[in-house]
Amino acid sequence: MALIEVKGLTKNFGGLMANDHIDLTVNEGEIVGLIGPNGAGKTTLFNCIAGFYPPSGGSVRFKEEEISGLPANDICLRGIARTFQIVRVFKDMTVLDNVMIGAFNRTNLTATATKKALEVLEFCGLASKKNFLAGGLTVANKKRLEFAKALATSPSLLMLDEAMAGLNQTETVEAIELVRKVQQSGITVILVEHVMEVVMPISNRVVVLNYGQKIAEDVPEKIIQHEEVIKAYLGDKYHASRRTH
Amino acid sequence: MGEKKNRWIWLAIGALLLLIYPFFLTLPFPRHLMIMIFLYASMGLAWNMIGGYAGQISLGHAVYFGAGAYTSTLMLMKLGVTPWIGMIVGGFISVGLAFIIGYPSFKLAGHYFAIATIAIGEIAQQWMLNWDWAGAAVGLTLPILPESFLNMEFHTSKVPYYYIAFGIFSLTILATYWVDRSKLGYYFKAIKGDLEGARSLGINVARYKFYALALSAFFTSICGSFYAQYVLFIDPDSVFPLMLSIIVCLVATLGGVGTVWGPVIGAFILIPISEFTRIQFGGGGKGTDLIIYGFLIMVISIYQPFGVIGLSKRFKKKESE
Amino acid sequence: MYSSEIILQTVISGLLMGCIYALVAVGLCLIWGLMEIVNFAHGEMLMLGMFTSFWMFTLYHIDPMLSLPLCLVILFLIGVGTYFIIIKKILKAPFLAQILATFGLGIFLRYLAQFLWTPDFRMIKNPALAGRISLGGIFIGVPELTASIITILSFLLLYWFINKTEIGTAILATSEDREAASLMGINSDKMFALGWGIGAACLGVAGALMSNFYYIFPEVGFPFALIAYVAVALGGFGSIPGSFVAGIIIGLVEFLGGLFIAPAFKYTFVFIIYLLVVFIRPQGLWGRY
Repeated sequence: MALIEVKGLTKNFGGLMANDHIDLTVNEGEIVGLIGPNGAGKTTLFNCIAGFYPPSGGSVRFKEEEISGLPANDICLRGIARTFQIVRVFKDMTVLDNVMIGAFNRTNLTATATKKALEVLEFCGLASKKNFLAGGLTVANKKRLEFAKALATSPSLLMLDEAMAGLNQTETVEAIELVRKVQQSGITVILVEHVMEVVMPISNRVVVLNYGQKIAEDVPEKIIQHEEVIKAYLGDKYHASRRTH
Repeated sequence: MGEKKNRWIWLAIGALLLLIYPFFLTLPFPRHLMIMIFLYASMGLAWNMIGGYAGQISLGHAVYFGAGAYTSTLMLMKLGVTPWIGMIVGGFISVGLAFIIGYPSFKLAGHYFAIATIAIGEIAQQWMLNWDWAGAAVGLTLPILPESFLNMEFHTSKVPYYYIAFGIFSLTILATYWVDRSKLGYYFKAIKGDLEGARSLGINVARYKFYALALSAFFTSICGSFYAQYVLFIDPDSVFPLMLSIIVCLVATLGGVGTVWGPVIGAFILIPISEFTRIQFGGGGKGTDLIIYGFLIMVISIYQPFGVIGLSKRFKKKESE
Repeated sequence: MYSSEIILQTVISGLLMGCIYALVAVGLCLIWGLMEIVNFAHGEMLMLGMFTSFWMFTLYHIDPMLSLPLCLVILFLIGVGTYFIIIKKILKAPFLAQILATFGLGIFLRYLAQFLWTPDFRMIKNPALAGRISLGGIFIGVPELTASIITILSFLLLYWFINKTEIGTAILATSEDREAASLMGINSDKMFALGWGIGAACLGVAGALMSNFYYIFPEVGFPFALIAYVAVALGGFGSIPGSFVAGIIIGLVEFLGGLFIAPAFKYTFVFIIYLLVVFIRPQGLWGRY
């Protein structure tokens, strides 16, 4: 069943068309990877869906309801959570308090929020750090916290914006594991990524953007064989050697 | 949970000391001093809700103080209504003001919001200075009524005023404590910490900013009503001035914004200083104590913007490291 | 209702006073645009400018027009001093601290002045510039007129300095992007100090000019500062010419509002303008929001 359907989404910034009539459907339980060179419009698409700014045109239907143009907090209430590329943790609050803010999305009671927050921290491997000040965490843990905050809002769809950037080998493996766990718990995931080692192993499908347009969509094994994709990343003059995974 | 038990014990001792205070200090001045401390602590706590927790710096809080003072006084003088009801009505009118002022202002960022609050405060004061029905510049002198709890007027001793002020003070502390631990408090802190981050987690920022301002306005207003009954005279210069807004803000900042006890500590430090300097340097009216205020504000902002509580936290950290 | 003469007279008075507001606003705008810190002690610095001129006259019999350069220098130093002693330390401080620091300075200066010089209103009697001239039935005070001319000249000088000289361009660069500017060798510390110095110097000039015709007392600065905030918002954050023009507009509105509605509320109109501007058009008239 289609959880979210984006049809003809367009976003203009002045004279620049950052998203040009993009169609995207994500089904329940999928992990969809969104890739493309720098400036392709991935984060813009993200922000339009998440309500960060309204699209200039097109529609976004989530759970059969039109959500384009709604404010960000409304969209979160409906069940779409997102992380930010540059993490937005609440520096002066503890890790636990940070996650509780997310948990309050579904409850008015502090006790309930605390319970949910502790569960999420356990899930994300941050339980031991629950009383640390968020501002003092390592980059990897800050990203984990960003993840946990979003997860605590009990979303149906989780959107990750370059959540893996800047992580080392071990951290990346742990992050991939975490995303898999999230999928197993029934949450649908869209992830924007640059790091191919992350996107390919976990995505059910991969969508490629370039210059604001969708240029390809396929399973990970086949996407790297698309001409347009190769051209987008490597330029016209390069010919890929054909390989199957 | 030994620490929690300790805290309760200290709280109980503190409350007890404050309750028996007027029986040991029977002269009017010490009682007046404590009443002023309670009043400013309550206002500081009220300001703290929007300024400390939610991070929206209001420099025009006197509007709510004045609204409370004038509402209960006018209701008393024109309608014969007891100030207790006047106080509550004043509180709700202030919440209404917060709504009208707040919703448009919340779109403003930082400095613009602060300046807007100053502008609104000045407009309010100007308006009251010219509103004849409400006394204009001459102000309102409250009628001397027979001494009674219902009339909230006491002529022979300050003690009943003391306990009412203590009641308001306790109420405001309780309210702050409750906010601190509730969803409201968490959301306020999130708004202060990162606005867009807060939004992305489902927080309706404008609505919660309003809640903070409404709470803040309500309690400030109650203090205004009490003040009118205590001093029995109000005029635009005594209840709407910018100075009042500044002192309230300073009380919270000195003690520690965004905490339950910060404004309380701030009041206990600042008000005695203010009252004593006023006596020492006497005459010339408001002046010298404000030089000290100004200096204090500068020093705090530069060296310890997190106030006394911030200082003590730093000491605690050094211990545990 | 009102004769066209009275209206014209009011308009001229508004424009002339507006020029003073304009210069005060420009000083504020420079600092605000440069480092996003609002100088809440702006009014008190203006007051110091006025008092400097007053004491030069009263103690040493130096005419305000002659002591104007001295006022400029003294206020410049005060501005630079404020930067190094206070502002530099709060550049990275939480927002509340930034607001309160200059606010505290303002209160400190105001009540110190009141303590040292009493709250009494002072006036410079018989300065070199005095009297009125008459242009077709409209009376224009000589001090006010000279003040406007000098403020306009000062503004043009400042505009030239900012846009056409190397140092001025360095200041502009620092205000646009501090890090990029420092990567190009511009010492942002010096630029900030300079910005504060020049911003305060504007107040020195405005203060000296005003001392010719305005009462001088410790609380005099406050309304001018408030008007300056409105002017900067109206003109558009970061736009120096915007602030200047906005200051003049506000002078007009204040005087005309006082004439047509009620003198007691003239500042109310100014604030209402502020609220309208920030609610409806946050980028002001010329801003780079």
